Amino acid sequence: MTVDYMTIAVSLLLLPPLMAGGLSLLITSSRRLHLTNLISIGTLIAAEVAITRTVLAQGSVTAFGEIVYIDALSSVILFIIGTVGLACSLYMRSYMDDQVARGVIAPNRLNLFFFLFHMFILAMVVATVANSLGVQWVAIEATTLATTFLIAFWRRRESLEAGWKYLILCSVGISLALFGVVLMYYSSLRVLGDVSSALNITQLQQVAAQLDPHILKLAFVFLFVGYGTKVGLVPMHSWLPDAYTEAPAPVAAMLAGVLETVAVYAILRSRAIVDQAVSPEFTGGLLALFGLVSFALAAFFILLQHNYKRLFAYSSIEHMGLAMIGFGVGGAIGNFGGLFHLVNHAFAKSLAFFAAGNIHRRFKTVEIDQVHGLVTVLPWSALALMIAGLALAALPPFALFASEMQIITALGTSGLPGEWLQSGPRIPVIILLFCSLVAFAGVLSRITSMVWGVPPKDVPEGEQWSVGHIPIILLGAVLLGFCWVLPTPLRQLLDTASAMLVNR
Amino acid sequence: MTKEQAILQAIALTLAQALVLLAVSPAIVGLIRKVKARFQCRQGARVFQPYADLAKLFRKQPVVSTTTSWIFTATPYILFASTLTAGLLVPAFASQMPLNFAGNIIALVYLFALGTFFLILAGLDAGSPFGGMGSSREAIVASLTEPAMIMSIFAIALTAGSTNLSTIVHKTALLEGIVTDPSPHLMALAALFIVALAETGRVPVDNPATHLELTMIHEAMLLEYSGRYLALIEWASAMKLLVFLSLIANVFAPWGIATTLTPMALSIGLAVYLAKVAGLAVLIGTIECMFAKLRLFRVTDLLGVAFILALLGLLFFYILRG
Amino acid sequence: MSWLTPHIGTQLVDLGSALLLLTCFAIVAQRRLSACVDLFALQSLFLAMTAALVAFLTGTPHIYFAAALTVLVKVLVIPRVLKRVIERLNVTRELVMNINVPASLLICGVLVMVAFFITQPIMPFGHLLTRDSLAIALAIVLIGFFTMIARQKAVTQLIAFLVMENGLFLGATAATYGMPLIVELGVFFDVLVAALIAGIYTNRLQDAFDSVDTTRLSELKE
Repeated sequence: MTVDYMTIAVSLLLLPPLMAGGLSLLITSSRRLHLTNLISIGTLIAAEVAITRTVLAQGSVTAFGEIVYIDALSSVILFIIGTVGLACSLYMRSYMDDQVARGVIAPNRLNLFFFLFHMFILAMVVATVANSLGVQWVAIEATTLATTFLIAFWRRRESLEAGWKYLILCSVGISLALFGVVLMYYSSLRVLGDVSSALNITQLQQVAAQLDPHILKLAFVFLFVGYGTKVGLVPMHSWLPDAYTEAPAPVAAMLAGVLETVAVYAILRSRAIVDQAVSPEFTGGLLALFGLVSFALAAFFILLQHNYKRLFAYSSIEHMGLAMIGFGVGGAIGNFGGLFHLVNHAFAKSLAFFAAGNIHRRFKTVEIDQVHGLVTVLPWSALALMIAGLALAALPPFALFASEMQIITALGTSGLPGEWLQSGPRIPVIILLFCSLVAFAGVLSRITSMVWGVPPKDVPEGEQWSVGHIPIILLGAVLLGFCWVLPTPLRQLLDTASAMLVNR
Repeated sequence: MTKEQAILQAIALTLAQALVLLAVSPAIVGLIRKVKARFQCRQGARVFQPYADLAKLFRKQPVVSTTTSWIFTATPYILFASTLTAGLLVPAFASQMPLNFAGNIIALVYLFALGTFFLILAGLDAGSPFGGMGSSREAIVASLTEPAMIMSIFAIALTAGSTNLSTIVHKTALLEGIVTDPSPHLMALAALFIVALAETGRVPVDNPATHLELTMIHEAMLLEYSGRYLALIEWASAMKLLVFLSLIANVFAPWGIATTLTPMALSIGLAVYLAKVAGLAVLIGTIECMFAKLRLFRVTDLLGVAFILALLGLLFFYILRG
Repeated sequence: MSWLTPHIGTQLVDLGSALLLLTCFAIVAQRRLSACVDLFALQSLFLAMTAALVAFLTGTPHIYFAAALTVLVKVLVIPRVLKRVIERLNVTRELVMNINVPASLLICGVLVMVAFFITQPIMPFGHLLTRDSLAIALAIVLIGFFTMIARQKAVTQLIAFLVMENGLFLGATAATYGMPLIVELGVFFDVLVAALIAGIYTNRLQDAFDSVDTTRLSELKE
């Protein structure tokens, strides 16, 4: 009975985006496109809730004969996909219609946008629920293919450039990850024999301890570099600021909030397997090192930015670096902090890009110097920008403060992992605190100059209430609330997921 | 077999090989020309036309500039002799050459280098601007091909465990004790083929059919020669081409070569040899029609490829079997 | 077939991998874009032949399928698409390179060595048909990666990406006798779509920038 129930739930996870994508190509009316989108996302969330309940009760769920595997970790990611997806869908209602009304895009191209959006969500869901590492790879490459035209959707020279860079760099990075998958399969074949299920997470987890550590190390390096490109870790990050700047605001929100998270998930998945055969110091050291470098470099780049979308892009790199440090350091606190940080960052970053989208539409510029007096021009967006900015600067009443504290605590207790990184916890903590101070100063100084001051004369004042404001208010509230109370199911989910990530 | 008989046999075999080289080489040049002509939808001269050309040149009186030194007149003989000697080191139709004690694969390279060196000097000797230009170009090409050639030859020698060409060919032909290693061999073959094209002045590097001053390399050095001197040089060039073809054919695909000295084996060996060499000649003719001559500065690219491939062949051997 | 002993079979697979590497070098040294496409098609053909050989030697039928797909997608469809793209563009060759040909070749030679050293420790494991194939596969991936950096034209970069993919496929075939079929199909689908998308992109880049020279893509800066 439960099996059937789960099969239905999983189908409801996969079918809505697929069908909605197909339908979007046929529908021309903008209202119906949005309706299809909302129904699809709604069904997706309902299915997620059902699956999460079962996962919390049973530990994990497999469906379709072990093709689909969902545990607490995948549920956390699904939760992020669902919530940010919903927020984006609501925001798109006002954002895309406005773009059509202003003639930025032809009305008949709207359905292409929605088609690609659905395919993007589908690919991410598949990447999250796939049992096979190979299928996961295929799905993550599919996200690249689906989003490249979304990024270049405005078809300006700059957006074409950003789209091309994104396509090439991510495809190349991802190719390296495929080599990692091949190596993983190569090692597991020796233990499992020549069976096609030898790439399945369920199978690999059982025999992981018997796999050859040399091959797994090599495989993990390739997987990490490959998926790390998608995450945007330094030095594989050069596509990221361009893509986030040029992408339409809801797409940027999805890229920053969700796609990065899915790529992190892929890294964590293979890490959980590799760690059983190789000392966790190895994978942890790699994660923490790249995380620290990304965090530090991005913090300084934030200080240099004069374009507010790029500012948020670098802030993404910074926060992903921080989450990576959390996972790298490991332990109960580190992993919990890392996962919690992923959730919070997804919310804060989508909020930031929604605000940025509103500002861009009104001021028609992305230069920080030319945006002043948001408080009078766009009061709601100004509020959203303040909340997002303060949250991204990890100030106390917001949830990112809590998760960042957890990560720093973990780092302070155990120091960086890996023999070649041994320096005691003090130095990395000092670096971390210093760089977060730099980022804090960078974000806050830019945002205050945008929010206050005298607005330029040619910009009309006042903000009309629209559907697009609902997600802004909700996300702001959630960011504030998560710092104080974490809903019990989410806490349970995060606890279980981080317990799974703690090895030995 | 007594010692005297063995010596006689060796002399006979060496003479036979020399005869084959001398006799076949003009035909190979003729064959390439014929293939090219056919590709260009021309009838073309007979395959045996080069014999007539040589005969004609030998009958003509040579004209030697008064400004030249002894090098100019000595070069054709040195070139001819060194090329013929080199040819005797490479097994053609019998795998074990009697002269194999006299030199190995390295001697081969330097015999060719000796001829090239004198040709370059002779090009400068007459003092004509074309000669000097041809010489300097030839020096560039030669200095670039040399390392590639040495490397590729080493790769082969290492896989075979000997630098002696007869041993390499003989062992490979018998599949005796040698694991034919495809990857190093393939790399070396590709490198050697490019080297052969460059060394013998074939199309992507030099065009043997033109006397256009801007592009010619080999022909520019010969402009001052006439009569029997020219005949000797032309014949030596043809032989050099044939020696390279034999080298490629027999080192990489020695099958069919005579491994014993019975008349039957020898005749089969000769027939197979002629077929292989003719096949390679057709291939070269085809390549000459398919590709344009490279600009002189692009020649380095091509020879760079050859060098890297040869190096890789060597590395494959060391890394994999080391 | 009695003459096809495992020993000779191994050597033939080895030969196939070496041919792939050889075409890789040819692509690096080649400046004419259409010749690059031809070389890529040739490389894919070698790849399909090697895969078919592995399928025959190991008796795994689904590799035949993958080999057939390779011929269809990488020998027929993608080169044709690329040729059409090149025809539409006003470029026929790479004139300026970030790294010139001899230097590129040297670097590629070093990359091959690196690949051999990386895979050296894991060679003795697993049921490899050949010792070289995995290393050569990695070498091809690295060379493709390098070519993307060293060349400027969008089309060349696309070919380099496809070369990388060929290397990966060789690795999967030689080291693991092919990935599970569903993964194999997914990868083919991704590659095909990626190539088509990149083809569309080069057209749009040509329209927007009057060039497919990616050094022109420099409007987005800090």
